[in-house]
Order: sequence, then C-alpha cells, then structure tokens
Amino acid sequence: MNSIIKLEIQKKTFKKKGFSILNDFELEVEPGERLSIIGESGVGKTSLLNIIGLLDTQYQGSYKLFGSSVKDLSQNKLAEWRNQKIGFVLQESALINSLTIEDNIKLPLMYANVEKDPTVQDHFKQITNKIGIESILKKKPLECSGGQRSRAVFARAVMMNPQVILSDEPTASLDSKNKEKMIDLLFEMNKEFNTTVITVTHDLDLANRHERIITLESSEG
Amino acid sequence: MRILKFFITKIILKRWILVLGMVLLLLLANYLTFTAARSMISTFQGYQEIETLNQEGTFIANLDPNSEADFDRIEINDTQKVYEYLNSNYTYALQVDGFVTSLDNKHDMEVSFNYINEEAYKTKQFGLSQGNHLNFNYQFNKEEIPVLVGAGLATTYPVGSNIEITDPVTQQLVNLKVQGVLEKNTHRSNFYAPNSKNYFNFSVFLPINEEFIQSAGLDLHVNGLMDIVLLDSTKEQALNLKELIQENTGLEFNFFNQQENLNYFEDYYINSLKIICIITLILLLILVCLATWNTLVSIRLMIKDFTIHLLVGLNHSKLRAIFYSYFGLLFSINLAILFVITAFNRYGFWLSKNSILATYGVFGLISMDWFALLIVLLIDLIIGFAIVELAIRKIKSIPISVGVLD
Ligand SMILES: Nc1ncnc2c1ncn2[C@@H]1O[C@H](COP(=O)(O)OP(=O)(O)OP(=O)(O)O)[C@@H](O)[C@H]1O
Ligand SMILES: [Mg+2]
Repeated sequence: MNSIIKLEIQKKTFKKKGFSILNDFELEVEPGERLSIIGESGVGKTSLLNIIGLLDTQYQGSYKLFGSSVKDLSQNKLAEWRNQKIGFVLQESALINSLTIEDNIKLPLMYANVEKDPTVQDHFKQITNKIGIESILKKKPLECSGGQRSRAVFARAVMMNPQVILSDEPTASLDSKNKEKMIDLLFEMNKEFNTTVITVTHDLDLANRHERIITLESSEG
Repeated sequence: MRILKFFITKIILKRWILVLGMVLLLLLANYLTFTAARSMISTFQGYQEIETLNQEGTFIANLDPNSEADFDRIEINDTQKVYEYLNSNYTYALQVDGFVTSLDNKHDMEVSFNYINEEAYKTKQFGLSQGNHLNFNYQFNKEEIPVLVGAGLATTYPVGSNIEITDPVTQQLVNLKVQGVLEKNTHRSNFYAPNSKNYFNFSVFLPINEEFIQSAGLDLHVNGLMDIVLLDSTKEQALNLKELIQENTGLEFNFFNQQENLNYFEDYYINSLKIICIITLILLLILVCLATWNTLVSIRLMIKDFTIHLLVGLNHSKLRAIFYSYFGLLFSINLAILFVITAFNRYGFWLSKNSILATYGVFGLISMDWFALLIVLLIDLIIGFAIVELAIRKIKSIPISVGVLD
C-alpha cells in the first residue's frame, strides 16, 4: 500500500543557532493507521506534529504527503489541505475568544464554503452530541471549562472529516469519562472513514490503544 | 464576501475602539490633505489668472499700508482730476465690484454690480454661456447700457431682457439690457491672496467708459484706484501718477511692476505655500505613523484570531484581499464624509445667501474640490498599500503554531 506520509528530516533548527531537533528522523505512515508518538518533554513531538500538519515548512529534509512533495506546494494549496485533509487537535486555548463555541467549530466550514450544506449540518449535530458539548455552543470560550474547550477544539478538527487527524495531548484536561468519549469518536472515525490517526501523548494507556507507538529520543546534534 | 463580512463583524468590530481610532486618524489625514491640496490648486489657478498681468509695462496699484489715508477729506473734484489725467495720458484696466443692490431674482440673492472698463475686460477674457460680449461705446444716459449677468441671474434676466434700476454709483435711473450670460462660476482671484476668490454667479457686469466714469460718484472713483492697473506704461509714468494721486487725494499708492510682483509672490506666497506643504507633509507623516502603529497594535491583539483562521483554511491571498477590502471600506467612508462636509459647506453659501461665494458644481462640488478629492484618493491608495503590506508581513512573520496559542 502507498504511504500517506513519507517524511525524511535531516534536522530542524530554530533561529537560535547550534541547536537542532529531529536529527535524521524518518517516518512513514499508511492510510488508516493509528500511530502514537511518545517521548520526554522538549524532545520535539509538537514540532514534528507541526511539520506533519503543514504548519511548519522550515526544516531540512523532504516530506511527501498524499503523494505530493510539500515543498513544491503553494501557500494556498497548503491552506486548502489544512482546511480539508488535516484535522489538528491543538491545546484547549486554540479558540477565538470573541466567537461562540459554535462559530469557532464552524470556521473550517466557512473556508470550504459548505456551511449551508445539510449533510454538514447533520455532521455538526452528531459530533457535538457525541462529545457532549451541545449545551455550550452559544457560549464564548472563556465561559467554558478547560475540558469543554478542548472538546470544542477536537470538534473543530474533525468537522471537515479529514483524512489525517493530528492530536497534541488531546486528553490532557479531560476526566476519564470525557476522555473515553473522545477516544471512541477518534477510533470510530478511523474505522468508518479509514482516517489516519496520529496522537502525541504522555498518557501510556492512550498510547497503547494505537496500533503503533514510536518513541522520540533526543539526539545530540 | 462572506469571509470579509465575517471578519469585519465578528473580529474587527469587536475591537471597535481601535477601528474608531483608525477612522479618525485616516479622516484627519484625508481632511488635511484635502484642505492643503485644494488651497494649492486654488492658489495655482489664481496665480495663473494674475500672471496675465505680469507683463512688461504693467503696474498694479497698491495702497501703501503705512500711509495714513483720510477718505473723508477726498472730494469728487479731486478724483475727477485724477481720472481726467488718467484718461488723457494712460491706458488702464479698471474693475470695481461689490456694489450691492437689491434686484429680484429667483434665488433671492443679493446682486452685486461690477463695473469694468474695456482694457480690464480684454485682459480677463471672461467666457459666456449665452449671448454676446460687452461693447463699451454706448452713450451714457442716452442709450440703454449693455450688461452681462451671472449664471444665477440668467433665468430671471435672460438675454434680451431689460432691467430698470437706480445705478448705485451714479445714482441715476438706468436702463440695462442683458447682452450675455457669464459662464457658471466665473470668478476673480484676489491679487494678493490668489486662493481667495469672488464668484460672479450673482453679479451684473456693467461696461464703463470715460463718460460713465465722469458721471460716477466718489465711491467708484476711490475704489477704482485701489487696484487700478496701468498697461503699456513706464516706471516714470507710474511715479507721475502716484504723485498726482497723492497731491489730489492724499492717498499714497505704490505701483508695482511685473518683477516686483513676481518678487512679492516668491517672497510671500510661494514661501507660505512651501510652509503649508511642509507642515501638511509632516502632519501627514505623523498621522500615517499613528495609523501604522494602530494597525500593528491591532494585529498584536488579533494575531491569535488571524492564525487560527490560517490554521483552519484561510490563505494569505485571501487575507490580503480581506485587508485591502477593509481599508478600501475605511477610505471610502472617509472620502464620503469629506464629500458630504464639502458639499455642505458649498451649499451653506447658498443657504446664507452669500452671493459672492455661491457656486455651481457637480453634486455641489466645484472642479477644484473634485480635483483635491482625487489627490486625496491617490494618497489614500499609497497609505493603504503601505499599511496593508506591512500588516501582511507582520502576520506572516509569526508561525501559525506559535500564533494560535498566543
Ligand atoms: N519557536 C521555537 N523557537 C525556539 N525553540 C523552540 C521553538 N519551538 C520549540 N522549540 C524548542 O524545540 C524543542 C522541542 O520542542 P517541542 O515543543 O517540539 O517539544 P515537545 O516534545 O512537544 O515537548 P512537550 O512534551 O513538553 O510538549 C524544545 O527544546 C523547545 O525549546
Ligand atoms: Mg509538545
């Protein structure tokens, strides 16, 4: 089978010189795979997710996503893929505070121009129902609890039914009941739509429920 | 459009203080540019008008501001002597306006009589919208006097109609015959302040010849001397006249020639124009800096909102389009406000029955207003371009992964 992600990073450096992460790192992911990434703090898990999720294109190496070389894609194409093919589950604070939870969740729909689509409306109802945030849809993020916000971030990420869902410690602020709900939904989508799931976590229990676990190690360089 | 509306209503207007600040700054910048541009256009136009007099042999009378003039002492015999001397020895251009009379008209405006001699009429080359030019060889008191009327009087007094009235300067009942209508907004610029103008939309132009001048009263005589222009003359002749006037009336005049007038303009007017320009530029620069600062602060406050949009599908081309549309909107609002203020000002002259400033225009604005608005528009395009590109650069410089967690 063709891999959906084929990543070969020589290194990732930041403006501060003499420091690099993800040295000689390689990763291949198959469609529909469930992968978790673990590793100690500061090793570069979030940085890796940013690269996979097309938020960061400043690194040495090559990256093929859905068969195309990312470095050859225009900024507009990257934006389109972020909108339609990739769901990014960020930390709970990644919401626009002046918008209601509903407006926040529906943002990707506006850019795909499908807000009025009835199947999309259905999808919205199903998802908000499944992760239990119907009651906070009209609230602003700052009127919600951390757990509610992280569920809203999750709902936004899966709203466009993406081919790849990237999550960065998605369950960190959730109680066990809500954590189960979210993981169930994630794996349900994986089963139903063959969605590729990549999850960064410190939670070994969660990591173990994925098919494959990779451990990032810090390499001197 | 949907996205633009979303941005404006749900993101930008949530920080309405910043928006209001921006609108005010840009409005101030626009108003400043507009006023400066218009006064420069007007000065330039007036200067061109006056330049026709800046010729070899032309001397413009100017009452010495330091002399002590005692107008009560002057008698008609004195001025008559001056004019006799003038008529037999000089070619001169004479135009006197501001003799206000009440003459019925449909706009209910005061009408001012404007007396002009043939030489002055020739140099001015007024345009007519109807009828024929003035002729000056009529016989005063025996024939009807051919006159021109301003555009505002054309419907009440069309070409061919007669006006019977007591002439304010001769105090005699005269019969005027309308011979032509002046073009709309015919005006004259002040010799010494070319951006201030008198409009002749409610004026009646009476041709005056020697006979008329002799019959006229002291008012016309004295006012006529105030900016009489000697043509084809010499410095010596001008000095002779100066002495004669002083002997007879006690008034001390200077007669400036072409070079002196040019010097005066350079010393006084061009310099003051330069100062206006520089001050305007400095203020404009300060305002643009404040507007830029306002934009950067706004972006600082909204960076998370912008990057979250970029995360879920917004691209930089759309973002740029949103910014240009937004600033386009702000500038349009400002230009509209500027337009309304100007139109209202111009209209105000009609309301207050100010007949020498009432003008005709397209939607109330005369050509120099439109021209100044065009300059404002050009400057807005430059400012808009600079601010938007700076804003986009600022947003691009922050990685999405950092911005979303701001
Ligand atoms: N924008 C940045 N500028 C400079 N250094 C950065 C930047 N982002 C991350 N780093 C550095 O890169 C390294 C990897 O950071 P990263 O956030 O990927 O770690 P992580 O594995 O996600 O850690 P954690 O488990 O604590 O979230 C860290 O040493 C961090 O200091
Ligand atoms: Mg991290």
